[in-house]
Amino acid sequence: MAWNATAVRVGRAALFALGFMLFGLGGALMQLVLVPLVFVLWRPPQRAQVGKRIVHRAMAAQVWLMQATGAMTLTVHGREKLQRKGLLILPNHPSLIDVVILMGLIEQPDCVVKAAMWRNPFTAGVVRMAGYISNAVGPDLVPTGLESIGRGNNLIIFPAGTRDEPGQPQHFQRGAANIAVRGLAAITPVIITVSEPTLTKRSKWYRPPSHKPHFCVHVLDDIELAPLLAGHGEAPLQARWLTTWLEQFFSEEIARHDPS
Amino acid sequence: MQKQDIYDWIAKELAETFEIKPALIKPEARLYEDLDIDSIDAVDLIVRLKQATGKKMAPEAFKAVRTVEDVVEAVYRQLQEHGA
Repeated sequence: MAWNATAVRVGRAALFALGFMLFGLGGALMQLVLVPLVFVLWRPPQRAQVGKRIVHRAMAAQVWLMQATGAMTLTVHGREKLQRKGLLILPNHPSLIDVVILMGLIEQPDCVVKAAMWRNPFTAGVVRMAGYISNAVGPDLVPTGLESIGRGNNLIIFPAGTRDEPGQPQHFQRGAANIAVRGLAAITPVIITVSEPTLTKRSKWYRPPSHKPHFCVHVLDDIELAPLLAGHGEAPLQARWLTTWLEQFFSEEIARHDPS
Repeated sequence: MQKQDIYDWIAKELAETFEIKPALIKPEARLYEDLDIDSIDAVDLIVRLKQATGKKMAPEAFKAVRTVEDVVEAVYRQLQEHGA
């Protein structure tokens, strides 16, 4: 029995390693072939739109592959709510794979990503091609984010700014709320749950979970902002209040949807 | 405008617009660490300063500010430059 469990775990480690290898290979291919091609064939702003679609396809392929090889399973509730344009999508962030799953589900995904990705040789070309927003833009986050949403992109911001600490209450940065209160009518919350802690902040990629992880994506109904913000002063206070409200909302919704 | 007036205006603004506890607002208080003022808030503050003084405020002048006192100094210099 113990031997069996070990064998299963080793098998899963091999699957995860394969997944990472293909992800790396796909990434390298993209960097070396697709990115230069896109840079030659398209000028801004079309380039970023084409780039975003290419990343969407690549991520969808990766998620398909991980399911086909049995590395993970995935259920999506409310997928149709993502088939719209100009959304601000706020997900929680239990696993490294969240962004891969979300970008695979959303056709024209924009995303606020770590500034380090512009310096990492494996990602620098892709983030430039797709024109993602760096988390180091500072106050420009608000106009840049609103402009992207206005162009019809679906902007993903992980409001926590980093992966969740399992079991800890949600703590959010104010950037997403600042975008929301300064020009949006609604936000789209997404709750992601995983049956097994998988590629969390603390886990090592070569130590995969002991059971096959099941990912569940719950696209919740939009949160209308006007009734929520009424009577909460001007933008700086509204952003503070909305951030606290969202922390509470996400903590409750995660507890409600969490299988464990 | 004297430095004390500028300080009083900023202290009032921090308390009213950002609802910072008045007890925390001191010249040596650090904006980000002590008062939870992020870069988006800082831009808001500068915009309000412009409106209140009717003078230009170069955003670059506020790049290196860390404390409330630094903001007072930066505003004071801006007012000198653009004619107080």
